[in-house]
Amino acid sequence: MTAADSAVVYESEVTQVGGQVEAFLGHGLLIFFGAQSPAELHDISVLHRATVAEDGPHPGDLIKVGAEELEVLAVGPVVRDNLLNLGHLDLKADGRTEPKLPGDVCVRVGDLPLLREGDPFRITRPALSNKEPNP
Amino acid sequence: MTEYKSVKVTKGRGGWGGPLTITPTDERPLVASITGGGIHPVAQRIADLTGGEAFDGFSSSAPFDKLAVAVIDCGGTARVGVYPMKKVKTVDIHGTSPAGPLAQFITEELFVSGVKPEDVEEA
Repeated sequence: MTAADSAVVYESEVTQVGGQVEAFLGHGLLIFFGAQSPAELHDISVLHRATVAEDGPHPGDLIKVGAEELEVLAVGPVVRDNLLNLGHLDLKADGRTEPKLPGDVCVRVGDLPLLREGDPFRITRPALSNKEPNP
Repeated sequence: MTEYKSVKVTKGRGGWGGPLTITPTDERPLVASITGGGIHPVAQRIADLTGGEAFDGFSSSAPFDKLAVAVIDCGGTARVGVYPMKKVKTVDIHGTSPAGPLAQFITEELFVSGVKPEDVEEA
C-alpha cells in the first residue's frame, strides 16, 4: 500500500503539552484537547490545533502521534463528536478490541510517546484492501 | 446580592453517583457547560432553576473556584476526573462510572452521571 491509497481524515499539530501528561503515559493514556479548551484541562492534556477535521478514527485507521504510528483497534461511540467538537481524544494503549469506555480509542499495549510542541497528530484511513484497482 | 435557589440532580438511566444538590452563591455563581457546541440543555436548566449564570467553558474561561457546577459530556476518562479533583460538583450527560487515573477523586458526593434535563428538579 502506498501513501496515495490512504486518506488523512484528521491532521493537527501539538501546541502545548501539560505537566501531568507524562504521569498519564504510565497508565497507557494520552489525552488530547483542542487549543481552545478550558484552562483547567491543560495540565492533563496535549493541546493541538487542527488543520483537517473531517472525521474521527475508525478501527483499522492509523494514528500518528509524534514519531509513532499506531493502528486503531477500537473506537467508542462518543469519540467522533469529542474530536470534531472539542479536539478531544483519549488514546489508550490497552490492546482492547471493544472500547471499555465510550470515549476510548484503543491501540496495542505498549508505550505511548511523550509528545512535544510541533509534533504531528494525524489520523489516516488506509484504502480498502479489496478496492478495485484504478483503470 | 442575588437570590439563588437549589436544585437536586439525580442520576439518569445507566448513570452513577449523586444525587447532588447544587446551589450557586455570590462566590460561585457559574454553571459551566464544558461540552462544546454551546450551553448544554442540562446546564441551561440548572442555571434557569437556580438563578446561576450559564457559561460556555469552550468559548471563555473562569477559575475553578467560581464554578457552582461543571456540566460535561465526557466519555469516561479526562473531564470526569478533573473537576471532582478540584472539588467542583460535576454532572456528566453520559452514563459513565468512575474510571481512569483520576477515578479516586470521583465520589457520589461530587459526581452524578447519565443526566438529562428532566433529572434536574427544584430542591
